[in-house]
Amino acid sequence: MNIHDEAVHIETRRQLLTRSAYGIGALALNALGATTAGKTTGGLPDLPHFAPKAKRIIYLHMVGAPPQMDLLDYKPKMAEWFDKDLPESIRQGQRLTTMTSGQSRFPIAPSVFKFAQHGKSGAWMSELIPNMAKMADDLTIIRTMNTEAINHEPAITFIQTGNQIPGKPCFGSWLAYGLGSMNQDLPTFVVLNAMHTNPRANVQAISARLWSSGFLSAQYAGVALRSGADPVLYINNPDGVDSKVRRRMLDALSEMNQLQHAKVGDPETRARIAQYEMAFRMQSSVPDLTDLSKESAATFNLYGEEARKGGTFANSCLMARRLVERGVRFVQLYMRGWDVHGELPQILPSQTKDVDQACYALVQDLKQRGLLDDTIVIWGGEFGRTIYSQGKLTAETYGRDHHPRAFSLWVAGGGFKGGYVHGETDEFSYNIVRDPVHVRDFQSTILHQFGIDTERFSYKHQGLDQRLTGVEKAHVVKDLLV
Amino acid sequence: MLFCGVAFAAPVTNPAKVSFQRQIRPLLSENCFHCHGPDAGTRMAGLRLDTREGAFAPRKPGPALVAGQPEASRLWIRANEAKEARLMPPPSSHRKLTAAQKQLLKDWISQGAPWEEHWSFIAPKRSTPPTVTDPAKWARTPIDQFVLAKLQAAGLKPAPEADRRTLIRRVTLDLIGLPPTPVEVDAFVNDRSPDAYGKLVDRLLARPQWGEHRGRYWLDAARYADTHGLHIDNYREIWPYRDWVIGAFNRNLPFDQFTLEQLAGDLLPNHTVDQQIASGFNRCNITTNEGGAIPDEVDAIYQKDRVETTSTVFLGLTLGCAVCHDHKFDPLAQKEFYQMVAFFKNTTQKPMDGNIADTPPTIIVPRMEDRDRWQQVQVEEQQTREKIKAQRQAALKNFDAWVHARPQLPQPLPGETLAVPKELPKGVEWSEGNVKPSQALLFGKESKLELPAVPTDGSSAFSVAAWVYLPAAEDNFTLLSQKEHPKDRDGRGWVLESSSRVLIFRLTGEGATDFIEARASNANRLKASAWTHVAVTYDGGRDYQGFTVYVNGERVPMEGTGNSTPKIKGSTNSGTPLRVGWNGAGRYFAGGKLQDVLVTPRLLNDEEVRLLADWPVVRAALAKTTLDDADREALGRQYVNRESAEFRALNAQLSALLAERKTIRRAGAITHVMHEKSDSMPVANILFRGQYDQPREQVTPGVPSALPPMAAELPRNRLGLAKWLIDPNNPLMARVTVNRFWQELFGKGIVRTAEDFGSQGEVPSHPELLDWMAVEFRESGWDMKKFYRLLVTSSTYRQAATTSPEKLKADPENRLLSRGPRFRMDAEMVRDYALAASGLLNSEIGGPSVRPYQPKGVWETVAMDQSNTRFYKQDQGDKLYRRSMYTFWKRSAPPASMDIFNAPSRENCTVRRERTNTPLQALVTMNDPQYVEAARYLAERMLRQPTGRVDLLAKQALGRLFDLRERQIIDRAFADYLAHYKAHPEEAKKLIATGASVPDAKLPAPELAAWTMVANQVFNLDEVLNK
Repeated sequence: MNIHDEAVHIETRRQLLTRSAYGIGALALNALGATTAGKTTGGLPDLPHFAPKAKRIIYLHMVGAPPQMDLLDYKPKMAEWFDKDLPESIRQGQRLTTMTSGQSRFPIAPSVFKFAQHGKSGAWMSELIPNMAKMADDLTIIRTMNTEAINHEPAITFIQTGNQIPGKPCFGSWLAYGLGSMNQDLPTFVVLNAMHTNPRANVQAISARLWSSGFLSAQYAGVALRSGADPVLYINNPDGVDSKVRRRMLDALSEMNQLQHAKVGDPETRARIAQYEMAFRMQSSVPDLTDLSKESAATFNLYGEEARKGGTFANSCLMARRLVERGVRFVQLYMRGWDVHGELPQILPSQTKDVDQACYALVQDLKQRGLLDDTIVIWGGEFGRTIYSQGKLTAETYGRDHHPRAFSLWVAGGGFKGGYVHGETDEFSYNIVRDPVHVRDFQSTILHQFGIDTERFSYKHQGLDQRLTGVEKAHVVKDLLV
Repeated sequence: MLFCGVAFAAPVTNPAKVSFQRQIRPLLSENCFHCHGPDAGTRMAGLRLDTREGAFAPRKPGPALVAGQPEASRLWIRANEAKEARLMPPPSSHRKLTAAQKQLLKDWISQGAPWEEHWSFIAPKRSTPPTVTDPAKWARTPIDQFVLAKLQAAGLKPAPEADRRTLIRRVTLDLIGLPPTPVEVDAFVNDRSPDAYGKLVDRLLARPQWGEHRGRYWLDAARYADTHGLHIDNYREIWPYRDWVIGAFNRNLPFDQFTLEQLAGDLLPNHTVDQQIASGFNRCNITTNEGGAIPDEVDAIYQKDRVETTSTVFLGLTLGCAVCHDHKFDPLAQKEFYQMVAFFKNTTQKPMDGNIADTPPTIIVPRMEDRDRWQQVQVEEQQTREKIKAQRQAALKNFDAWVHARPQLPQPLPGETLAVPKELPKGVEWSEGNVKPSQALLFGKESKLELPAVPTDGSSAFSVAAWVYLPAAEDNFTLLSQKEHPKDRDGRGWVLESSSRVLIFRLTGEGATDFIEARASNANRLKASAWTHVAVTYDGGRDYQGFTVYVNGERVPMEGTGNSTPKIKGSTNSGTPLRVGWNGAGRYFAGGKLQDVLVTPRLLNDEEVRLLADWPVVRAALAKTTLDDADREALGRQYVNRESAEFRALNAQLSALLAERKTIRRAGAITHVMHEKSDSMPVANILFRGQYDQPREQVTPGVPSALPPMAAELPRNRLGLAKWLIDPNNPLMARVTVNRFWQELFGKGIVRTAEDFGSQGEVPSHPELLDWMAVEFRESGWDMKKFYRLLVTSSTYRQAATTSPEKLKADPENRLLSRGPRFRMDAEMVRDYALAASGLLNSEIGGPSVRPYQPKGVWETVAMDQSNTRFYKQDQGDKLYRRSMYTFWKRSAPPASMDIFNAPSRENCTVRRERTNTPLQALVTMNDPQYVEAARYLAERMLRQPTGRVDLLAKQALGRLFDLRERQIIDRAFADYLAHYKAHPEEAKKLIATGASVPDAKLPAPELAAWTMVANQVFNLDEVLNK
């Protein structure tokens, strides 16, 4: 849904006029808009800059930062390094968080989990993620993601908004602003929050700023789709008001507003009438979205029975597929509990169990419905974790502190290469040896798949052409792409 | 900002005089300044086009500008280059001049290329309002003359004056943020006295709701909220600052004094408590206590926020763009940014907020009735401390003789030190201690030492102390535990732990969340492989304030965690033994030692804890032949405490005073204030590329050189900064301020970019008017009530809001003010309106924040487990109907319904809200229980009248009566609702039960439900949502 808001259109035109005349040449390449199922409304007239590969994105963000060496970045040599200190030659003065900077030792904690090779690419993946491993050939595994932030708040803000300091628009808002909406009855940017099951998992903060539109218009903010009675805030009529009564009220309201418009002539009055109609449509489209009764037994088999329960990760993945089926462009999902500072071997298995099957199900489900080719699915956290143990290290247990220099993440669909492992870290999963992918580069590559050149996609704010990827150069990592 | 087809410039037929300020300078700024502007770091070819000297300077092959000669001006030549490689601006910059822009440049150069400094740096002048042909005498004030002149130049006429009902509604909403009552409306409509309107305005300005309404706008600028903002996002107590803001507006504190007190109230000579509270303006920024955060980095971020906020609010400048490099567009150097930082950096505030509600520096704001005693207690405390000092001196007269005799001293507080049985259980052994020659307990892997409990119920005082030796291994240990259900969070009792070497004492009452915790700050971590004396005392107050933590005899700052409750309810009597070195179920203290464990049901005072901590030194000293200073000091303390009854009595007096302070403090509130370090001067370091760990040259406080210099006699601190801001020669302060006031009433400022009066901001739509108002405001003594009065009594303001196709075309955004203002109200106003119109509004002013209705889970979704703002606990009764500015503001999950109406998150300073129009907003006003209940409450009032129900609704909601057609629509709708609810009476009952208030049982449910729907319908009218 997009808002036929004249004030916003004026603003959009102003933005357009003050930007480069360059982009206008690409107007003709709005091929994507013409071929989508629904009409695309809104968005900038000169976007996409070139033919896109992806139309939608489902971003599964694992809040707290999963440990790469226990899941996706196999480091067999570390078995020989148990309880030996991390060499200074590896650490190279890396700044540590104050949680471990006071430690007298940095003993290495090799992963207690077993790895095996999977798929045609022979990607090494942990025993904790057997279903993800089953679909290794659908995944682009990036082992060399990196960032500067060492703490959760700044890091998650950075990966979502391109800046460590709050106030900038998030990824979903940028895409909503740039590409508009493919759906008239649902928000184009939806946020889901999934619950983890293990009460001992360490939960980190998220906040509404992560789906905020920053300095972009608030209409581009993410809309939370909640499990429970009110899937969208205030969507339900009060008890005792059914849709017939609501409709009657809206008819009367609209009539009176028309009279007002005839008297005063404010164009905003007309726009408001349209918003109320949209609200009414959402009151049908949202329950239709959340009603799983028509989903087949095969689907619940694929996702697991947990998918029937609102708020679980499996349920959220199923909801994500339903959202993109209905033309929602950006689905942001948060799942917490990954911040394994301590007791990693005890907590990580429950975390992976919560997500493993549903991730597989989501990707396969999209594939079966012909949606995977133009839907990007991302799975990962905001930074990596240290090979050295935080806190007590024994044969049975260890913890890991934050590590920005290298982390792992996978992408499926949307033109990303299946069965491909990108980049290499050193034996300690500490430094990157080959092919780094900075968060900026990652964002730039995603934008590229949407047909957007990040250098030319900006919004003038405070006199600056602000971009998602910021002022520094961001590279499209072509190797990741088909 | 380029001209964009909005009618600012006069229509051009012949080359009219080109305005440098409005047409050329923005063009140059946008297209040239990045490479040819104030930032030497990115300056190309050594060419500056942002200054007159730079633009006209002789150069090879020729100057950029030659007045009157475009063909000789290299700027013009390069702008018209055929070859891309020589074209300016270069294609790689993504900028391109249009033909029209090039023509403008040509015309301007031909006209002599008149140059001016950037408009907002030139001091405003009070120009004579233009003469206008005004036979109808439309203009009432000079404002109107300026506006009329521009309207006439655009060929437009002002709109007729709004009718009285519209007028009183508009001005009441603008001045107090609430709709007028029907009585007030009728009184005004029927008031035939001269200047009825002026009198109405004066009445409104005198209402205390004025302070609330103006204050609410100010809170956006101040970034006020009730939580710290990041990570655990715990409660922050600072609502007395909000009270101060409301009070300041209500007593019409002049704006210069308003500025002075908020920036530097704590530095004013003989400052009052109120002035100190005002300095909380600087403490409203977001802070963090995230584990792992690096204090220097966090501190740099706070200072950046303070400078940005100050420059946005008082100067309308984007100083934040000079954190990493010189400003690209405005003459603001990076060095000057850090010179501004220096003003704020000499604070005693530490970067980590501790997750507590009262991060120092704070002050207690006692209840009014306690204020005198509060002052008195502090005086008495000071006197007692001096007496103690004197008594110590006096008592030491016989010290030398005593110490010479090396008396046998028993250990301090022997009766309260736990007796340990000689036979130790498995896993515990005797080992070398700290207090020699006595031995300490050494714990093994599974040691299970239990001693008789020292019962405590939570309402009585309690103290724990011990010598602790932490082993080398990084782990979490239980030192002492007297708690049931040791494995779980719940279970009554207390534990003393070391968690990552942070000392924690937790007291639990009834249930997992009924606990309070004292946690020594990260900076006071215990050392591994070393002895530390620790003590925690508790005064029985059932809250976190009751704790004091000591490390090695000194009080240390505490941190809060999160979901500790403000006050524990249950008994803390565990009924278990006291476990030493383990928790009763699986957590031990392997490799650690304890000695002289003291557990006692009373409050130890500072002196006693000191004695305990000194004891090893004393024991050792008594065995020495020569004593050093440390020995003498420790022994002296022992002597005075043992030998002088007067000394002990004075200490007891001091304890009583401290306890009384705590009592007054508990009854009052805390607020955050500013406090300068006394032993240093404000300085800052330039940070290379803005990086916290790359400090460069140290700078002292200073102001941007593009603005008038700071007078030499002003102190180089925040007070000096504030005085510099309010100096009459500051070109920005008054303009920026009146622009915001204008924005509040008219929807858009005269300068649209209220936050940016710099080169990349918009130029004013009415520059002379802006300047006239700025000077008027300043010369009136910065009198805010007077200024708003001027605005709302102008004819410009009083116009009807009716448009016409012609006006929509020529003046689409009403920047020319061709009609009265009409736009959707801000979030708080929309809610307050419904409450007021229905009669539910609780008009109590000030006080702590409240928690009205909110959908389930909004906080929980984002909050951390340990946050004390994780679970939203809705208030009861009339707290639900307070004005929206009192709604508890959690930054990481702002109030849902207001967020939907564009309320900012308060994470940053905001001086301009967006105004969107979305279906989510429609859902709020249709379905939010707050609005439905308000509709039902009004429906009850309507139904209690035998007649005139629709009229009552109209007057309450709109301040007028419905016309015939509107009545027909309403009557028909009502008939349909009634038929429906008569057929479905259970549905009627459900609808009218919405909200916490109980509907009048005497009223028939179907009728009440039907009228509720009618009221719900009317409350959603576009006319209601707009002002």
